[in-house]
Amino acid sequence: MRSFAPRSAEPNLGDTNMTQKNNHIDRIILFVVLFLMVASTVVVYSASSMWALQKYGASSHLVDRHIIKVLVGIAAMFLAMRIDYHNYKKISKIALAACVLLLFITLALGGEVKGAQRWLNIGGFSFQPSEFARFALIFHLSALLASKKEKAADYKTGFLPLVLWIGVVVVLVMLQPNFSTGVFIFVLGMVMVFIGGAQLKHIAVSLLALLPVVIVYMISAEYRLRRILTFLGKDRNTATPSRANYQLWQGIIGFGNGGWLGVGMGQSKQRDLFLPESYGDFVFSIVGEEYGFIGTVLFLGLFLTIFLRGFRIAKNARDDFGRYLAIGITCSIVMYALGNALVTLGLFPTTGLPMPFVSYGGSAIVISSFAIGVLLNISSQTDLHPRLTAVEGADVSELNEPAVGKVY
Amino acid sequence: MNRLLFIKICLLTAFAAALGSLVKIQIIDAAKYQAIARKQYEAKVILPATRGNIYDCNGNVLASNSMFVSYAADPKIIGENTEKVARAFSRFFGKPEAIYLQKLHSVKRFVWLERHIAPNVARSFDIRKLTGVVTLDEPKRLYHYDETGGQVVGCTNTDNVGISGAEFTFDKQLRGKDGYVVMQRDGLGRTRPSTDFPREEPVNGHSIVLTLDIGYQSIVEDELKKGAERAKADAGIAIMLDPNTGAVLAMAHYPSVNPNTLSNISMEALKVRAVTDMVEPGSVFKLVTASAALGNNLVKPDQMFFAENGTYRVPLNGGRVRVIRDTHENGMITFAQALELSSNIVFAKVGNIIGAERLYTEARNFGFGMMTGIELPGEVSGDLKKPVEWSGATLNSMAFGYEVGVTPLQIVTAYAALANGGTLMKPYIFSKEIDEEGNIVAIEEPERIRRVISPETDQVLKNLFLGVVEHGTGQSARVPGISIAGKTGTSRKYEDGKYEAGNYNASFVGFLPVENPTIVLLVMIENPKNGYTGAMASAPIFKAVAERIMNNNGLFSKDKIAGNRGDEDTLLVTVPNVCNVKATTAVQLLDDNGFHVSITGTGDVVVRQLPAPGTKIHYSDIVQVMTNLPAGEAGVAPDSHGSNQVPDLKGMTIRRAINSLMTDKLNVEVLGSGIVISQSPIAGTLVSPGMKVTVVCEPRAITTAQLY
Repeated sequence: MRSFAPRSAEPNLGDTNMTQKNNHIDRIILFVVLFLMVASTVVVYSASSMWALQKYGASSHLVDRHIIKVLVGIAAMFLAMRIDYHNYKKISKIALAACVLLLFITLALGGEVKGAQRWLNIGGFSFQPSEFARFALIFHLSALLASKKEKAADYKTGFLPLVLWIGVVVVLVMLQPNFSTGVFIFVLGMVMVFIGGAQLKHIAVSLLALLPVVIVYMISAEYRLRRILTFLGKDRNTATPSRANYQLWQGIIGFGNGGWLGVGMGQSKQRDLFLPESYGDFVFSIVGEEYGFIGTVLFLGLFLTIFLRGFRIAKNARDDFGRYLAIGITCSIVMYALGNALVTLGLFPTTGLPMPFVSYGGSAIVISSFAIGVLLNISSQTDLHPRLTAVEGADVSELNEPAVGKVY
Repeated sequence: MNRLLFIKICLLTAFAAALGSLVKIQIIDAAKYQAIARKQYEAKVILPATRGNIYDCNGNVLASNSMFVSYAADPKIIGENTEKVARAFSRFFGKPEAIYLQKLHSVKRFVWLERHIAPNVARSFDIRKLTGVVTLDEPKRLYHYDETGGQVVGCTNTDNVGISGAEFTFDKQLRGKDGYVVMQRDGLGRTRPSTDFPREEPVNGHSIVLTLDIGYQSIVEDELKKGAERAKADAGIAIMLDPNTGAVLAMAHYPSVNPNTLSNISMEALKVRAVTDMVEPGSVFKLVTASAALGNNLVKPDQMFFAENGTYRVPLNGGRVRVIRDTHENGMITFAQALELSSNIVFAKVGNIIGAERLYTEARNFGFGMMTGIELPGEVSGDLKKPVEWSGATLNSMAFGYEVGVTPLQIVTAYAALANGGTLMKPYIFSKEIDEEGNIVAIEEPERIRRVISPETDQVLKNLFLGVVEHGTGQSARVPGISIAGKTGTSRKYEDGKYEAGNYNASFVGFLPVENPTIVLLVMIENPKNGYTGAMASAPIFKAVAERIMNNNGLFSKDKIAGNRGDEDTLLVTVPNVCNVKATTAVQLLDDNGFHVSITGTGDVVVRQLPAPGTKIHYSDIVQVMTNLPAGEAGVAPDSHGSNQVPDLKGMTIRRAINSLMTDKLNVEVLGSGIVISQSPIAGTLVSPGMKVTVVCEPRAITTAQLY
């Protein structure tokens, strides 16, 4: 039985200077992400034009901003690809602490968006600190797990510090209030702790401890309760859906209207002001309407590819830090995508989760791109895609054999 | 246990769930959602076809369409402006705000706020600032001559579907076919033309030309009304045919209906009773008996009969005795005299001579017991029993017009046969169907049914019926200088299985001039309480109509009026003859021809006109018409003290109101426009010349509406 436990032979990080001798990155993930981002500009344009015209008087108002963020995101991805991921290990604690501080600041003076203080505006550029906090937490948990791996199973020295960090971030995010992001960060953190070898009973106890808090929290705000109730008593098949799930209902009509092949690029009817936020959290519905089942399966397939490739990178990562980081980044991206898809399909309660790289979004697209860049950097330090000239004195055919079989 | 594998399986399960859901929504249930989506974003807008016009035989428009304005709103778009919109509507239309608020609080996306507002009223209501309120043009039927020909022309319901008269009969031809355009709708309910569907243009309805002559119709209706009122009758019917063709020139009903004011008309009042009602004809049926007797050479006009001194006892089976009475007590008289004096006793005896089979055949030949097939709704066939079904008394009864059920139209059709030399013509009211470009789609030619009277017999019969008017019961229909033949008829109304005493049908049917008849007219008055016989109640009406028509030769020149405008001299139009026509009809007719009208006098009927009929003048020139009550004389009867009473102006057009007041040398102040709804001082107040009378007017939607 193969264990996820750390390899016995861990390379000496201190004197490893792999930057110049790195192997190839995982090109498939790179292309998948680039494809998603390019496709997103087309989809977002179609989905947002009517709303942009309605709200801002120019049909390209939203897509222009989206394209800028995609370009910044691509730059961030290529930058992160070139930075040795080990560098983050040293600064993860400071970064996370800074993010926690940002969350405090956001709570104190953030602008209100849809009744929540989620955005921080610095120099005309607004971003969601929770997005930064999510990745900072992943980085820091990875660093902690990698350094305390033997003690992760121990409650006081291993488990508790991890859970405290998770708790601080989750509570601050939830206080914004951003319930769904809070829950996702919590789940993400728990997944990492779980993989890091924490005892199941510790996880179970913390889950149980959180349960009443979550319940009180959920019913404390009317809109959250309504969303939950809507979801539980969802009446998708009635002709007059209640106002609360109007968006969900319109989203599902969009999927259904697409059928097998979709109504064609730019032909969506639901985006004609029927589906609110058609370019944001519900962009997947527009994909489904314009490109049909083929389109939605393709998009899900792309995220599945990121998922499988990401886990493969994790398994083959040079070290535990890389492994945890790869799992964290992959899970973060894929869980968001899946969560978004399941919400738009009515399988999850309506939340405010965007679809990574595809939804019109602010800072998320840049940060997610950066994270993918980090993942690619991890992949370049594995032996999965060896650079032939870089392997000195090795039997080329012997090294190449499994690689070819595995990758292609 | 591999924890990484566990997470992997969890996420793969989530992928599978999403995939399954997509299969369900996008493949299995796709059709359902596509239908829902389609319903959301497609809006089918009906492009209504324009209903065809109805014309009289001279091309005068009897019915056309007008555009009315309706206001609708989308409550969702109006949103927080609801109160503003309600206030604006309340202020303009003078209704409580609550009415509009209630409509605007509807969850529907479309509510009517006001409907069928006249365009000139709507013009002054500015809705540009009321976002979410839209105006829609709705066609509404417009009847140019109001109650004149009301039952025959018929009317439409609020959906513009014909429900009575010609509007009903020719609904299919008039209606046309609505077109539509598919609009694409967005989430706010705004629409734009969809490129996915071709526009289906409406096919406009065809126009129908009737054989009616609105001039004759107006005269007949007018006199029928006067006569029926004089006789204090319940109702009256008058039908005028062209005996040579069977064309219906006029078909009047009293009480009349105005199809423009549909809301308070009952279906009963809309019935074309000339064809839907069955009556026992009484003496007018003696035509059939006389024709059978003379045609079969069974009786000679100068053959003598004993009229039993007014009381004739006929033994029936089983020892019972039937008594037939005459209103005039006669001894020995000729057959001709019997007709002139309308002796039921002699005709009963003649009936015996003719025999059941021959009398039945004659009646059948004259068209009784069968529908005439006229293009009007609800026609009944009448009730003519076969001889085998007759009782012992039927032969005698039928010989003078009892025990047989006929429609008024059947009677006048039978007399038309007598008038034209003996040929039964099919009565018709449909003349032509014309499409939008003016092409004739269908045309009705006069249809001979059969010869019912030989020419020789016809000549003899005509003389007999001439005698009726000259020195018989029909003398009250006589017009000096014109030869008129006709017959009176008085029958008791048969109701609830017995003949009612004191409830009569009084009729007169005749034609003129006898030498070459051009008009056959039946007047039937129901339950006259002031002179119950045909001679007293109906014949004077016939006479009045005959006089007015004869004074009015070439009335409404048969050239189509529209054609006049197409003349090489386009600016000159022939003035139609409006003498003897009802003033309102005359004004309408002159208006239709483009003339300006100036009325003097306060009567209902035009007696003189300037310029004379047939003169060609510029179409916008003034035509002066004088009515039967001269200005100084009446409407405003001057009392002995030299001051006048203020006339009742209510319901008058401004024009008439001003005319009426000016003739009394009163000053007029007009508030508003249209029809007078109130006045100050009130009618009957004594005023001296020079005083000011204020009239308050309200637009009369129907006549101010724009035509299209």
